[in-house]
Amino acid sequence: MKLMNTISKSIALLAVVGAMGMTSIASAHEADCPYCKLKLVQNTKEQDNEVVVKVGNKRIEYRCLYCVIKDQKRYKGDLVVYSPSEKVGAPVILKRTAGKWSAPEGAVFLNTFKKHKDCAALSRAFSNKEAFDAYIKKNPSEGAKAMTLDQFLAEVAKS
Amino acid sequence: MKSTFLSVLALAVISTATAQDHGGHMGGMKSNLPTMPADMPRWINSPGADHLFYKAAPYNWAINRIPAFARDMYGTGVGHAMAYETLVTGRKDQLETRIFDSINRVLQNPPRNPVDEVALSPTFFRKYGYLEKVFDWAHILHFQTIDVFTHPGWTDAQKEAEIEKLWQFYSAQPYAITGLPMNMEYLDSFPYSMRFRTNYPKVNALFWGYHWLQTVNYDMLFRVPVQDQAAQYEVLGAQYRTTELYKIRDFMPMTAEMSPRFAKRFPMIANAFDNLHMLHDNVNDILASDELSESQKRDQVKIAIYRVLASTHVDEEPGSGEDAPGTLHDHRHAPSTPGMGYMKGMEDDVMFMSGMGWMDMSACAHCSIPLPDGPMWGATVTADGWTMMVRCLMCARDMAAETPGRAIIRAATEDPSKILILISDEEGNLTSNIPGVVFLEEFGEHPECSAWSRAFTSKAAFEQFQKGNPEMKEAKPLSLEAWVQLNQGTPETYRKIDKPNPYKSDGANGGGK
Repeated sequence: MKLMNTISKSIALLAVVGAMGMTSIASAHEADCPYCKLKLVQNTKEQDNEVVVKVGNKRIEYRCLYCVIKDQKRYKGDLVVYSPSEKVGAPVILKRTAGKWSAPEGAVFLNTFKKHKDCAALSRAFSNKEAFDAYIKKNPSEGAKAMTLDQFLAEVAKS
Repeated sequence: MKSTFLSVLALAVISTATAQDHGGHMGGMKSNLPTMPADMPRWINSPGADHLFYKAAPYNWAINRIPAFARDMYGTGVGHAMAYETLVTGRKDQLETRIFDSINRVLQNPPRNPVDEVALSPTFFRKYGYLEKVFDWAHILHFQTIDVFTHPGWTDAQKEAEIEKLWQFYSAQPYAITGLPMNMEYLDSFPYSMRFRTNYPKVNALFWGYHWLQTVNYDMLFRVPVQDQAAQYEVLGAQYRTTELYKIRDFMPMTAEMSPRFAKRFPMIANAFDNLHMLHDNVNDILASDELSESQKRDQVKIAIYRVLASTHVDEEPGSGEDAPGTLHDHRHAPSTPGMGYMKGMEDDVMFMSGMGWMDMSACAHCSIPLPDGPMWGATVTADGWTMMVRCLMCARDMAAETPGRAIIRAATEDPSKILILISDEEGNLTSNIPGVVFLEEFGEHPECSAWSRAFTSKAAFEQFQKGNPEMKEAKPLSLEAWVQLNQGTPETYRKIDKPNPYKSDGANGGGK
């Protein structure tokens, strides 16, 4: 048993070190969304998907913006939310400071998903209305309308 | 090189053969009720009370030093007693409603003193007194091991020696459950298996919730100074009362899952507790099976007891059973985890953990690099109901920081007698049990992370380490406040094991981290 243990550990170490040296697999944090419990949707080369909430020293990933807003009560301090936008690597940054939410000027929001399996694609932020329109043209969604942050928050609150 | 290749080849062949035999055997087990063994111990048919009690010792009832923990533990005695009495008095239609409410009320308002389970389940005791002997005796082991760890004034070495004596004391009685790892898939493969959790999921969640409590507490206590134990229970107790009691799990919590440090040091006790908890599940399932007559239920309970008794497995060894996989005498365990029997779908060290998905127990849960050999390791992280082993302080900090809710980090320092306990609040602010703790973090390659990410009990200890490790001479000691601000993100070495959940027939993904 001990020999098997040593061998299997050596193989595992070799495999990991080998993988590091020979491939360039992007790191990916594959966890479940703390709110909807579905798997996080990983970022791709074409589109960011992971919503990151920074609270104190914690950095928690969510599946979509809706899940963040629904789960916000668990956090007492200020929040910074890095919400994927239409552009890779350029999130729309939302803040909750002393309980009040704010978003960059011109930012608009989409929230049309019916089932949580679609939430990452249909509960999102955009830096402007043009980007929203372009996204909806590419990903048609019934009833899609560009909402302000206040409208988005009100819609999530009533759902 | 050649010998390594041959060893790998041999391993592959063994693995394949084991999997094939295992599958074939399990298929046959489902169709028939187990039959009475010829060597059933005679005490099982004795009507005598044969009551046993605690080993006389100065540490008895030291659990009361953590009052909230003691009360929650005393409350656990109530649940099964109430459910069993309900089942044997023909009131099972009330289990998910009135009885659930009653048990839940007790668990949320637990008693200040231990409860006499017989007083709560007189009918059950009259019918199944022999089972109560086995349960009682194992529950005493549960409580006395906790008492040893919560007893002040003894060194860790004294406590561990006493735990060994307690195990001998326990094992000397005929009602003792085996400390050998048992194949959990086999123990859960009978015609009545899973009946209770399927038909009564809310009550079953309460049961598995307090099995979580009974197993998670050991790493809270093991090698932790008594003054640092209660603070951890503020986190664990809240998790227990708000979440764990109501969680629908795929399988019961295993001791080595919840308390890996303790299970590594005392694998026989970890196994005995898992076997005990599986006996509870078997009994629940038998009593909840309408198609069984009263006589069949009595027989099946006796057979379920027989399966896990130490007397059934005399002279058998941990790790044996490769020639009889998926049977009563399959005592294989994961190579890295002697304190856990084989689980459904398990392959070597890779197992499915409810809430975490597929995990390699021989590797760091955060960076996937194999854990170092030896009895102790870098750190563990307890958060969101799970406990995971990691290689280094950096992995522990970053894993806790990316998990919602409060967390506990337990980590080695340069002083083997001083475990660092860091408790995180909801926002990742950490408090330490060692006031002058300093950290080394000279970010480098992950396979060596346990060398460059460490904790020291003082700045002097840090400097001493530097003297012996000149490559670290430029490193600056980091205070807790400075160190907690760092976050290196998910390591590039992290590899998720992506396989379907073995407990779900719809091919659902394992999920988890």
